[in-house]
Amino acid sequence: MSIVSFEQGDELPIRRVMVLLSRGDRTKTGNSRRGNSRKGNRQKDEIMTFKLTRRAALQGMLAGTAALTTMRALPAWAQAKGGTLTVGLTYEIDTMNVYSTGFLGDAQAAVVEGLLAPGADAKYVPVLATEVPTIENGGIVVSEDGKTMKVSYKLRPDVKWHDGEAFTSADVKYTWEAVKDEKFIAESKDGTAEVESIDTPDDLTVIVNYNTILPTFASTLFTFGILPKHVLEGTDLNTSSYNETPIGTGPFKVAEFARGQYVVVERFDGYWAKAENGDALPYLDKIIFKMIPDTNTLLTQLKSGEVTMVVSTPYSQASQVQGIAGITIVKGPLLSWQHLDFNFKKPSLADIKVRQAIAAGIDRAILSKAQGGFPQPISSPVVPVFDFYDPNTPVIAYDPAAANKILDDAGYAMGGDGVRAKDGERLSYAFMVQSGRADDELAQQVIIAQLKAIGIEATANNQTGVAYREARYKGGYDLIYGRWITSADPVYSVFWGTGGANNGQSYSNPALDAAFQKFENTLDPAIRKEGAAEFQKILADDLPTISLTTNVSLIAVTDKLKNFVPNPTNMTNFVHTAEWYMA
Amino acid sequence: MSLGYVLRRLFSAVPLLLGISVILFSIIHLAPGGPLDMYTENPAVSKEALDQIAAAYGLDQPVPVQYVLWLKSMVVGDWGYSIRTGRPVLTEIVLRLGPTLELGGLALLLSLVIAIPLGIISASRRGSKLDSSLTLASFAGISIPVFWLALLLQLLFSVQLGWLPSAGYKSIGGGDFMDRLSHIVMPAAVLSLATVASWSRFIRSGMIDVLNQDYIRTAYAKGRSERGVVFLHALRNAMIPAVTVIAVDFATVISGAVITETVFAWPGIGRLFMESMDGRDYPMLMGLMMMGSLGIIMANIIADLAYAALDPRIRYG
Repeated sequence: MSIVSFEQGDELPIRRVMVLLSRGDRTKTGNSRRGNSRKGNRQKDEIMTFKLTRRAALQGMLAGTAALTTMRALPAWAQAKGGTLTVGLTYEIDTMNVYSTGFLGDAQAAVVEGLLAPGADAKYVPVLATEVPTIENGGIVVSEDGKTMKVSYKLRPDVKWHDGEAFTSADVKYTWEAVKDEKFIAESKDGTAEVESIDTPDDLTVIVNYNTILPTFASTLFTFGILPKHVLEGTDLNTSSYNETPIGTGPFKVAEFARGQYVVVERFDGYWAKAENGDALPYLDKIIFKMIPDTNTLLTQLKSGEVTMVVSTPYSQASQVQGIAGITIVKGPLLSWQHLDFNFKKPSLADIKVRQAIAAGIDRAILSKAQGGFPQPISSPVVPVFDFYDPNTPVIAYDPAAANKILDDAGYAMGGDGVRAKDGERLSYAFMVQSGRADDELAQQVIIAQLKAIGIEATANNQTGVAYREARYKGGYDLIYGRWITSADPVYSVFWGTGGANNGQSYSNPALDAAFQKFENTLDPAIRKEGAAEFQKILADDLPTISLTTNVSLIAVTDKLKNFVPNPTNMTNFVHTAEWYMA
Repeated sequence: MSLGYVLRRLFSAVPLLLGISVILFSIIHLAPGGPLDMYTENPAVSKEALDQIAAAYGLDQPVPVQYVLWLKSMVVGDWGYSIRTGRPVLTEIVLRLGPTLELGGLALLLSLVIAIPLGIISASRRGSKLDSSLTLASFAGISIPVFWLALLLQLLFSVQLGWLPSAGYKSIGGGDFMDRLSHIVMPAAVLSLATVASWSRFIRSGMIDVLNQDYIRTAYAKGRSERGVVFLHALRNAMIPAVTVIAVDFATVISGAVITETVFAWPGIGRLFMESMDGRDYPMLMGLMMMGSLGIIMANIIADLAYAALDPRIRYG
């Protein structure tokens, strides 16, 4: 099973992510009219919105051309070689090895390529493979007993590693062996255990024999990246210099890794991909990833021009960035949503009436407004990007009067202190978010105020780092607010399935488990959609979680950078860097 | 001051360090969570894989056993491997020590050069307008939060004037003397502000104490100029209390300045400590804290020796 989720902004290893990308049509909501007098308008104008569309035409498109196609609607710029992009990251890059880094692999994505990459509209696009294996094209063959499957990849010819050696099927097989090796301490070994064996009949053919049916095969192993066999075979991957200066097949190669300071990647002249007009790729000379832990300092660097791109601008700081000349905020979709979850060990929270009242007591519109209007209200944890999102999912509308009535009727009497109680239990809850995350802390304050209006007391009990995760996974809270991101192949049972890895709520519902089972164990899209509609309805009725708003990514980037298309995840914002160029 | 004394002091530091290491080791392990939490939240990592990783780092052993294992390798100079980066702890520390010593050293040098004259002027003009303004400035200096001052300086010198880089250790591809100087100026200034403020207070009060002594009056009576009294008779004695504070501040330099290094993206020990703390990187934290403890013990020995040098009446034997 692939891991599919991580908390956005989480600092520790959760990069399991391969979150999908929904790139879609690029539509400008307006021209950037700097002279516009009203501030409100100007802000809106300076943000480009990327609307998601689900055009089948985009499916199966080659990686190299996907970005170009979406760009055709934009004015043509002379594409010229050269230029340096300086990216500011708020974390310290630990290792350049995609299998052992604890962070989203921003810098790594420009250097190391996989067979596939998450492409437009939650579909995978081929990178080092020539096409995405499917049942229709014969790339996936399910065994007669329906219990195992074979996945075949045809590899792209004439691909060179950064040291000039040829890339072959032996590298793919070696990647599986190296990651699976128990001596190798990996951040994730996703997708290695399900592989029984790998056949390499020739240099450009890879046949992966799975010991099970793994619908999420594309979101794991070979998508993360391929390791160079000729460099690494026989070395200790835990201590190899590969972890600092990896040899990849990507458009950029590592020139310098200064710990705690920066990573410089520079153009790889032997890169395999060509632009549609025949230009050699990539265009940029260099990308510099600077590690700047403090967000205020990062914004200062953006102002002084020392940094020309920031991939994760907090909502609360977006207005500061909009005032910087030459910098645009690009708003990209994210497969992420904000949610309020309940701990079922708390007797009153195990009462559906209380959960319904809380749902009716929260105004999503205010939550969105408090966060700069960027997140949009939603009713289901399945973000609307996915085609299995069910628009008919019921939602409890904001109605504090109704919420109060539900609680009155259920016998939770208002106490003299403004807090309701029943059978000696006051409706007073410890409410946790990850401390230090300004956007979450703000949302928390909004919810605390809204709950107060219906006679429920919530007290902030925020934790940070490992202590936060400990509490989250072991249920050390009554209410918890956070944001999850899913991959392009989301698995939801980990959140609310009985015993799910991310289910710290002690929630269990057999009907829901059955719906998850249906959704997650088939390659048939129709059955998946049916299961998805079922679990969305059950979640909306039984309310182990209240799905509140979507999330967007705010990428601050210099106006000069062209061909940049946002990606819903930190991990893959740098997947298609080859076509980026400076005007 | 004898060599025997120094050796005895160094020898007595050994049980002290042992005690410190037991306490640190326990505290680190008492803190909720652990380095493997980053794997446990990943449903794709199986129990078996987790056990393997735990065994690889010795985390499957009981804490006392882990401590003994750690101590055993520490004694022979093996500081272990960082769980976060997989690299040797000592390599990582040495890599970060350089920038930290540069920044801390420059800041302390600045502090000394500024604080001593300020303290002397304050004390010898006690009660004057100048003294009052310096007192006020000192309290302001101690009270101003580092991150706020840093932000103001960055906005002024990097954004408005464009004179200095706002953060970082050196330019990419750069790194000559002027380049590094331009990077170190702001963090060193920020870092020295609070020390200047507190040291000048200590020197001032030490000075005032001494200036009230009988022998100072005698010196004046002999017809010494004020300058002569202050520098020849008073300063050396006034420095004794200040030396303790200064020595300990010197020791903390090698622990790094966490906030300043973070705000200025300085690749030093302080930032390494923050990152390691966040990931519960036990071997790295132990290495960093032991080094810090050693520094403080050494600084105390040096301070004691300095007393003897300043005051011939103090003898260690």
